[in-house]
Amino acid sequence: MVEQNLGDKAHPGATRPPGAPPPDLTARQVRRMKRFDNPWRNPKLIWGAGLLLSIVALGILGRLFWDTDLVFTGSGMPRQAPVGVENIRGQIGSWAHPLGTDVSGKDLLALLIVGAPNSLYVGVLASLIGMSTGIFLGFTAGFVGGRTDDVIRVLSDVMITIPPLLILVVFQAAYGDISLTLMALLIAAFVWQSPTRLIRAQVLSMREAGYVQMARLSGASTGHIMFREMMPNLVPYLFGSFIANVTTSIVTAVGLEVLGLGPQRIPTLGRVIYDAINSGALIQNLWWWWGIPTLLLAVMFIGLLLINLGLDEVSNPRLRRL
Amino acid sequence: MTRMTQVLMTTAAVTLALTGASGAQDVPREDTVIFDLDRTIRDPENFNWMTDGTGIRRMHGAHQTMWEPLFILNYGTGELDPWLATGFEANADSTEFTVTLREGVTWSDGEAFDADDVVFTTQMAMDNEELNAREVATIRGQVASVEKIDDLTVRFTLNAPDPRFMVENFGVRIFGSFLIMPEHIWSAAENPATFTFNPPIGTGPYEFTSAASNRAIWDRRDSWWGAETGFMEMPEPLRVVFLESGGEESRAQLLANNQLDAGQNLSVGTFEAIRAQNPDTIAWYADYPYAVADPCARQLEINTTVAPWDNANMRRAVAHIIDRTQIVNIAAEGATTPSRTMFPEYGSMAPFIDAVVEAGHGLPATADVEAGQALIEAEGWVRDGDYYTKDGETLAVEIHVNSASTEYTRTIDMVVEQLQRAGIDARSVPVENSVFWGEVLPFGGYEMTYSWLSCGSVNEPWASMGRYTVADVVPVGERSPGFNNTARWDTAAAEAYSAIVNEMSSMPLGDPMIPQMVAEAYQYLDAEMPFIPLVQAFKLHPFNTTYWEGWPSNDDYYNHPFFHWNSGHQIIHNLERAE
Repeated sequence: MVEQNLGDKAHPGATRPPGAPPPDLTARQVRRMKRFDNPWRNPKLIWGAGLLLSIVALGILGRLFWDTDLVFTGSGMPRQAPVGVENIRGQIGSWAHPLGTDVSGKDLLALLIVGAPNSLYVGVLASLIGMSTGIFLGFTAGFVGGRTDDVIRVLSDVMITIPPLLILVVFQAAYGDISLTLMALLIAAFVWQSPTRLIRAQVLSMREAGYVQMARLSGASTGHIMFREMMPNLVPYLFGSFIANVTTSIVTAVGLEVLGLGPQRIPTLGRVIYDAINSGALIQNLWWWWGIPTLLLAVMFIGLLLINLGLDEVSNPRLRRL
Repeated sequence: MTRMTQVLMTTAAVTLALTGASGAQDVPREDTVIFDLDRTIRDPENFNWMTDGTGIRRMHGAHQTMWEPLFILNYGTGELDPWLATGFEANADSTEFTVTLREGVTWSDGEAFDADDVVFTTQMAMDNEELNAREVATIRGQVASVEKIDDLTVRFTLNAPDPRFMVENFGVRIFGSFLIMPEHIWSAAENPATFTFNPPIGTGPYEFTSAASNRAIWDRRDSWWGAETGFMEMPEPLRVVFLESGGEESRAQLLANNQLDAGQNLSVGTFEAIRAQNPDTIAWYADYPYAVADPCARQLEINTTVAPWDNANMRRAVAHIIDRTQIVNIAAEGATTPSRTMFPEYGSMAPFIDAVVEAGHGLPATADVEAGQALIEAEGWVRDGDYYTKDGETLAVEIHVNSASTEYTRTIDMVVEQLQRAGIDARSVPVENSVFWGEVLPFGGYEMTYSWLSCGSVNEPWASMGRYTVADVVPVGERSPGFNNTARWDTAAAEAYSAIVNEMSSMPLGDPMIPQMVAEAYQYLDAEMPFIPLVQAFKLHPFNTTYWEGWPSNDDYYNHPFFHWNSGHQIIHNLERAE
């Protein structure tokens, strides 16, 4: 009921006019129909989560089975190619560095083991903080209304016009070396506005719903109504918004890192790409140096996209195709 | 930060540079020589080189094509090649220098270049404290008076004996020289510190055509005094372009595609990759390691006013921890050698380097981490996990590094790693080129940084040693005169050091006592380490022979290959169109 309201996107092909007889279903479609009894068992969602988990697994298993100290300068011979591949000097890559090394002798596998989860970490942390702020402010604005609403609305409307990368570039250039967490905090300052606006809009439409009125008549507190009565109805929607925010945060973080403005000594995927560009990796044909991190970023983004699509289907049954 | 934008914009910039600005006539590519610029032209409309501490108002072509020096020090022969001057004489105690100017030299507007210009420019440098370029500050510090003897003769009287006066100020010993400005134009300026000298004129065979933040274009004049007097023929290139290439990758692509004729410093790997694509690319040596050392040996600068690095033992600890061989192998890819002293490892410097090493003050090629850690522990620091701590404070250091070249960042990454492993929480702080030279270095706004500020000596020891005397110490926040003693080293040992160095300054070149005195003074540097010499410079300047031949190399050693120096005139004159 509420869910249909939420995912009210134009999708005429998937809807059928009210009162029309149900179409004839094949056995296969019936099976799939049954599976939708549990909307969370969505293939896109599962594939997306699988891809993201593979990055997390890379981080965990890698730390168990590989020496992460190899991320530091001078850990091995520079410019080694991946196993079995020949580099520009005719040296064949060995198992000592399965994915090769960069020009400073940093082991690429170790860089990925440490760097990929770091990039994900920044995205998730920034998004968590941004979403929490957004949920709190959005509910407050929508439910409390009045002056509070005005202040929050104007604040988020103003903030949404500021291009985050510009501010972050200036800030980081001035500040120099920063930690991952600080970078996540900085990014979080720019990802709370749109959840705030969207949640406020949802809350405004929900505020007059019967169950909310009922709760209010029963004397429930504002906090209780907001977070116990209304929020559960928004969960799939919040998830979707959260994932979209993670994507934005990672893109912002990688953008900063590729400009050389991220943490200096802590490996991240963006930093690896920055070093590669900066040291002439393209002309030296060190494709593993910039190629593999780019591939991992692609995996990460595809995973996030699939989760987002999956969540869309969870929250909006009309999107589910039989 | 702007690196990425530059990479994207470079192709557009090349097209622009080749076609020239609006109004300029078209010059075919084969008559154009394109040099690389490793920094942005901050203020392309301003040609007052005297108020620019970073050198960009000269190295974008102005002092390679338009403004000529009096002499050029030839690194191959060790002699001063005469240019605008024909010779000089010094009195017995090196306090008076009489320079003879060349006859027939004219400015590009037809006015004669003569003693009036030299006297006027020198006097202007002496009278205006705001003119802060290094060469101007040096003249101001050394010259007591200057007088015109006749139209072609000028006499400088110095404050103190200085046998190196001519080579240091007028000989393009390193990077620049004190450039003579036209009196008939500058005398009309109300305030030389705010004068922009636009349009600029010079005596050189090229005149200014146009400039933007990423390029400057210079076109050959129809006539030049040198060709008229028989000094030299007209140079062959009709147009000289200095183009900001924007980093290693785009520099490499431009060279590989023949869109750049001379490149700034590259790493060995990148150079080899370019050569694999474009066999017309050459460097100083035909084979590995390709690179040549300029006289500016690399070092870790330390601000001796900031705790805990105000403690000499802590600085010595860092010196012990640094592994020069690893820097050579990893950061320089074997293209250089570890420094033993502050001096460049030139044959002409060997007597002084040997004296220092024999006295036991030379630096080792590898690290002695335990000795370094013992020094740190003796100062009360205790290793707690990864790092040393004292009174709840972690032993940390921020190393500012100019982000303009991967040489700098890679070397400092290596140093940071070595310090980290020894228990010091070191971090590198990349800084944009003009901020680095304009704000961080001269005002002491750093704990440690990577540079080459003891640069100066080529064939005698004083030029380098004289840069760390107590006379040049200023408080943090004030500009160090000529980047001298930015370490702000002023302890009792520094006083003792300065006394010996000052005594040395007036002694004639080649005095047999000098090596002994160098070693004696060097004990104080060794004991207090106001800076830590790292490795010799490694300059791999790639040249492209597709359009132009006659680039300097070890086989054709008419002079060194540093085309961004004031000696770039010689390179341009030596170029011949490739057939």
